[in-house]
Amino acid sequence: MFQNRAEALALALPAAIFAAAVFLVPVVILLSDGFRNPTGGWSVSAYIEFFSNPLNQAVFLRTLKLGALVTVTAAVIGYAAAFAIVNLEPGMKGKVTGLVVLPLMISPVARTYAWIVILGRTGIVNEAFQALGLTQAPLRILFSETAIFIGLLQLFLPLMIISLISALENMPKDAVPAARVLGANWLQVFWKVILPLTKEGLVIGGTLVFTGCLTAYITPAILGGSKVLMLETLLYQQVSVSNNFVAASVIAFILIAMSFAANILLKRVATARNKQRRAAA
Amino acid sequence: MTAQRLFIPFILFLVIAFLIGPFLIIVAASFSAGETLAFPPQGFSLRWIAKVFTVESFRASFGMSMFLAIGGTAAALILGIPASYALSRYKLPGAEIVRTVVSAPIIVPGIIVGLALLRYIVVPFQVGITLALFLAHTALVLPYAVRVVSASLENLRSDIEEAAVLLGSSRLGAFFRVVMPNIRGGILSAFILGFVTSFNQVPVSLFLSGPGVRTMPIDMIAYMEIVFDPSVAALSSLLAFMSIGIVFAAERFLGFSRYV
Amino acid sequence: MSDASYLSLSKLTLAYGDTPAVPDLDLDIRKGELIALLGPSGCGKTTTMRAIAGLMPVKSGRVSLDGADITRVPANKRAVGLVFQSYALFPHLTVYENVAFGLKLKGMRGNELDAKVQSGLKSVGLSTFANRRPAELSGGQQQRVALARSMVMEPKVLLLDEPLSNLDARLRLEMRTELQRVQKETGVTMIFVTHDQAEALALADRIVVMKAGKIEQIGSPEDIYSRPTSSFVADFVGFENIFQLDQGKLQTSAGLVDLSSHAPSAAGLAWRPRMVTLGSGPYRGTVRGTSFAGDSREYLLDTKLGPIKAEVDASQPAHALGAELAFDLPVERAALLSRFG
Repeated sequence: MFQNRAEALALALPAAIFAAAVFLVPVVILLSDGFRNPTGGWSVSAYIEFFSNPLNQAVFLRTLKLGALVTVTAAVIGYAAAFAIVNLEPGMKGKVTGLVVLPLMISPVARTYAWIVILGRTGIVNEAFQALGLTQAPLRILFSETAIFIGLLQLFLPLMIISLISALENMPKDAVPAARVLGANWLQVFWKVILPLTKEGLVIGGTLVFTGCLTAYITPAILGGSKVLMLETLLYQQVSVSNNFVAASVIAFILIAMSFAANILLKRVATARNKQRRAAA
Repeated sequence: MTAQRLFIPFILFLVIAFLIGPFLIIVAASFSAGETLAFPPQGFSLRWIAKVFTVESFRASFGMSMFLAIGGTAAALILGIPASYALSRYKLPGAEIVRTVVSAPIIVPGIIVGLALLRYIVVPFQVGITLALFLAHTALVLPYAVRVVSASLENLRSDIEEAAVLLGSSRLGAFFRVVMPNIRGGILSAFILGFVTSFNQVPVSLFLSGPGVRTMPIDMIAYMEIVFDPSVAALSSLLAFMSIGIVFAAERFLGFSRYV
Repeated sequence: MSDASYLSLSKLTLAYGDTPAVPDLDLDIRKGELIALLGPSGCGKTTTMRAIAGLMPVKSGRVSLDGADITRVPANKRAVGLVFQSYALFPHLTVYENVAFGLKLKGMRGNELDAKVQSGLKSVGLSTFANRRPAELSGGQQQRVALARSMVMEPKVLLLDEPLSNLDARLRLEMRTELQRVQKETGVTMIFVTHDQAEALALADRIVVMKAGKIEQIGSPEDIYSRPTSSFVADFVGFENIFQLDQGKLQTSAGLVDLSSHAPSAAGLAWRPRMVTLGSGPYRGTVRGTSFAGDSREYLLDTKLGPIKAEVDASQPAHALGAELAFDLPVERAALLSRFG
C-alpha cells in the first residue's frame, strides 16, 4: 500500500471525472427532468400522469411480469442444466460450459434475428405445426409476449447457468450424499440442501437475468414490434415518435431504480457471503 | 439410476439446442440460394455472403463500429489502468466513490446513457455524433476495463515494484518494467471483452445516429426493416465468427476466462 | 554519532498516516557489521528497515549513510539492497534477467554485464538455472536469486526481511552459512529483521532488540543471551523465571524475600530453567508438571515465589508429580534486569 494521496488522486481522477462528465451528470440531469413541472418547480405530477395512463400501466406491468417470468424459468432450467454440467467429467464439462457461454459472444441482433426465422408466419414452428396438422392457419407467435419471453430467455439463460455452476461447484462435496444417506428423496435434497447452499448463486444469476430483461432493447424491439412494448421500447417511442422527454425521463428513472434495487440486493448477498467466508477462515 | 443417466444428457441437449440452435439456423440461412430469409434454406449459394461486402452502408457502419470498439476500448484502458492501479495499490481517499462512479455505466440501461448524452452533451455543446458515440462507448467499456485490470493487479504481488525501485528504477519505470509485463494478459483480456461488448452494443447508439453515421448493429436493424433477404443473416454469421474467433484465440493463448 | 558509524539513524520518527510506528529512534551501525533487528511482530523492526531502504517516508529525524544525509534521497538512488521476505522476484523474467535488472538500469551492457551476472549467479550456486523462471525454482533457490540480484549491485547496505523464516530446517542452516560467507567475502554491511531469537543469535554480530518502536537493548549475541537488561528481552530470549524487585526485595505471596545484598540496584532478576538448582537450597516447591526432552527433564514447581520452571540433566533421578523439592535460585548466576515491564 502506497501512502501518497496526491499520486493516488492523480491516477484515479481522470477516469472518475470522465465517467462523471460523460455519464453521471447528463444522466442525473435527465432524471431530474421528470420531477419538474412546467413552471420550473419540483413535482411528481409527471409520475402521476405516467401511471394514470392505462397503456403505460400495461407496459410497466408487462416489463415486471416478463422479467419475473424469464428469471423464474431461467432458474428452473438453470438448476437442471448446471447440475447436469457440474456432474460431467472434467474434459466434457469445459466443452459444454463453452457451448453455454458461446451465445454471449454473438451479437444480440443476430441472436434475436434468428427467432424471426423460427417463429415467423412462414417460420419453422408454423411450418411444422401445419405439416403435422396441428393448426390450419399460421399462428401469430411473432410480435407477442411469448416471442419476447423466448428471446429474453435465450439471451440471458447463460448468465443464470454460469452463476449456478459456480455455486454448485462451491457447495461442499459431501452435502448431497450425506442427505441421501439420511433418507432424503431428491425433492427434499433440492429444497433442504442444494437450494440453501446455492442461494447466493441463484440471487446473483437472478439479478443478472432480471436487470438484463429490464435493459434489453433489441429483443422487445424486434420480437415485440411496435404494439407489444416494454419499458425500454416505450422510452424509445416516447422520444422518437412523441418527442415526450418528460415521459422518457420518468421511464428512465423507473428503469434505473429497478436496476439499482436489484444491484443493491446483489451487493448485499455478496458481502454477506464474504463475511461468512471470513468468519469461517 | 438409468433414468437419471438418460435424463441428464437429454436436459443438456435441449438447453444447448435452445441456446445454440438459433445461431446455427442463421448460419445455415446465410448459405441459402433463395430470395428471402427462410429455414430450411432453399438451395446452397455464397451469393448473400458475397453481397454483404458490396453493401455500401455495411462497409461504412462496420468501419464505424470497428473504430468505436477499438478506439473506445483503448481510451477506456488509458483511463482505466491508472484508476485500477490507484484503487489496488494506494490508500485512496474516497476509493468507494471512485469505484462506484467508474463502474456505474454498467448498471444504467444503455438507452438512457445515449439519450442523456444526446440531450445534455451533443445538443448544448454542439458535439459531433462520431465524437459522442466515441465518448459513450468509452464510458460503457470503462467498468469492464477497471474490473478486469483490477483483478489482474490483485493477483500480482506489489513488493516487486519496491524491489525494482531498490534496484534503481523510478516508480514510473517500475510500473512499465515489472507491473505492465505481468498484467499484459489481463489488459488484453479487458481489451477483448471491451471490444466485443462495444461492437455488439445497440441501445447506447440508438439516439446517437446521424446521417451516414451508424454502428454496425443499428445499420443491420435498419436494413432488416427494409429488405428481408438473407444478407443480414450472412453478415450476422460473419460477425459472430469474428467474435468467437477472437475470444477463442484469447482463451487459447491468454487463459482469457481467468480474468473475466 | 561515533566516528566509526557508517549507517546512522538519529531521532528517527516514522508513522503510518497518523498512527505512530517508531518514535525518536537512535541507532549507529559500523561498516561491515552484521546486525539483527529482533522483536515480535509490530515492534517496528520492519518499518525501520523500510525507512533505511527509503520505502517508508521519514516523519522527522535523520538517516545518514557513509557520511551523507540520505533522509530525503529516493529509494532508487540510495545504494541500499533489500532481500524481501517473499523474495519479490520478477515473475516474467528469467533468473538471469532478474539478476541483470539493476545492472542494466545502471547502463551496464554487453560483456561487462554478462560477466557480472554470471559471477553473481555463480556465487550463489545457480549458474545452471540462468534460463529458468522464478516459478520453476524452489523457495531456497528463489531466495538465492534475490540475494544475487541485490548483491551484484554492490550495495552499501544489504537489508534482509526475515531471511530464514520461509525455509525448512536444513535450508535454514545452509542459508545462514551462505549469508555469513557472502558477508565475509564482500564485507557488506548487513541488517536483517527477524522475530526468531535463535536466528538472530546464530547470525548476527550485534543484536538490536526492539519493542513498540523503541530499542530495548543493543548487544552482542552473548550479551543478549546471557545478560538481558530488561524483563522484555529476558523473556524474549528464554529466561522463564523473571521476578520484579522492589528496592532489592522480592514481593511474594509468602512475604518479602530479601535479595538486596546481591543486587542492590536491580529492578528485576531472571533465571533460565537451566540455572535453577534442584535438590538443595533455601526454597521449597511441589512438582506440578514434568516433561522429558531427551537429554534433559523439565519441572514446573508450585512455590511461594510463584510457578518456577527448572531444567536438569536427564541423567539425574526423576522426581514424581507431587514430590516436594528443595531448590535454589543462585543470585550470582541471575541476569540483573535494570528495567522491568
